[in-house]
Amino acid sequence: MRVLLVDDEEELVSTLAERLAMRGITASWVTGYRAALDIVEHEPFDIALLDVRLPEMNGLDLKRLLEVKRPGMKFIFLTGHGSEEDFNACSAESGRDYYLIKPVQIEVLMAKLNEIFQQ
Amino acid sequence: MIRFQGTANTLGLLFCGTMTASMSHEIKNALAIVNENAGLLADLIALAEKGRPLNPERLKTLAADISRQVQRADSIVSRLNRFAHSAGQPVTTTDTREIFEFTAALAARMAAMKGVTITVAGDNTVQVQARPFIVENLLWLCLKHLFAVSTGNQTVQLGAENADSHVVIGLQFAEGTPVEEISKLVTQEGQPLIIALQAEVSTDAQRSLIRLTLPKKFEE
Repeated sequence: MRVLLVDDEEELVSTLAERLAMRGITASWVTGYRAALDIVEHEPFDIALLDVRLPEMNGLDLKRLLEVKRPGMKFIFLTGHGSEEDFNACSAESGRDYYLIKPVQIEVLMAKLNEIFQQ
Repeated sequence: MIRFQGTANTLGLLFCGTMTASMSHEIKNALAIVNENAGLLADLIALAEKGRPLNPERLKTLAADISRQVQRADSIVSRLNRFAHSAGQPVTTTDTREIFEFTAALAARMAAMKGVTITVAGDNTVQVQARPFIVENLLWLCLKHLFAVSTGNQTVQLGAENADSHVVIGLQFAEGTPVEEISKLVTQEGQPLIIALQAEVSTDAQRSLIRLTLPKKFEE
């Protein structure tokens, strides 16, 4: 399973990538939408974990652009807000199960990644 | 006057809501990083129990990372606390630079989201007599409407100068910024704040400047 982590908090995604690697998941990380579009251009990913509130472009809009580049890619949204607005927007996009609120426990994330990957 | 005061209070509530939402988001991010670092620490210990040696340097880095995020969260909570107290602050003589720096800190994350950099001009001391919270609220409205039209790589500089019996607060935008549009929206939405501050809003489109003129001494 190849996972792309996109969040403007570098320390968060780099540490998360290291922890996922310890669990046998190949994870790459970027901190902005431009880098996300760039890396997806060159590397395939099964799942992208996207922060909802990214600088200059929100995660929902980024998802639409990534889908064009990689039609089979799946998405999980991650947010620090946990607001009703975020929740509703993400629910409409990909189902309530694909929406995780920070801080997320690694076991919860692993379960979600495996569930989506097996679909 | 009572009607305007009521609306100013409503704008104040909206201001409080926006800022607390933004700051709580920042705190969540700091906590998420602490959570991941603590989790990584647990992972490394679990591996050590299975025979993989622990690298002391890695542990030092993790401890430093956690400490830095705790300090970050503490700084945000301090800002939030100061902001909460400022809502009830009466008319007082305040250094405008202090107001600018605090407003810039409050709006920093939202500015970053929109690719906007907020700076404070010079180090001259200009004081104004007003309720700082209302000045911050009016400045926030200017920034909010800038964020709405920003397409990234924008700048705004906050500054002030004395002008006889008034203080002129200037918001210097990048060339090409639709200052008249921003000013119009600020004047419409922020009318109760402008009245409460006994202020005037004017624009200089050629210089990409919005001026907020406030009396140096507030008269009840």
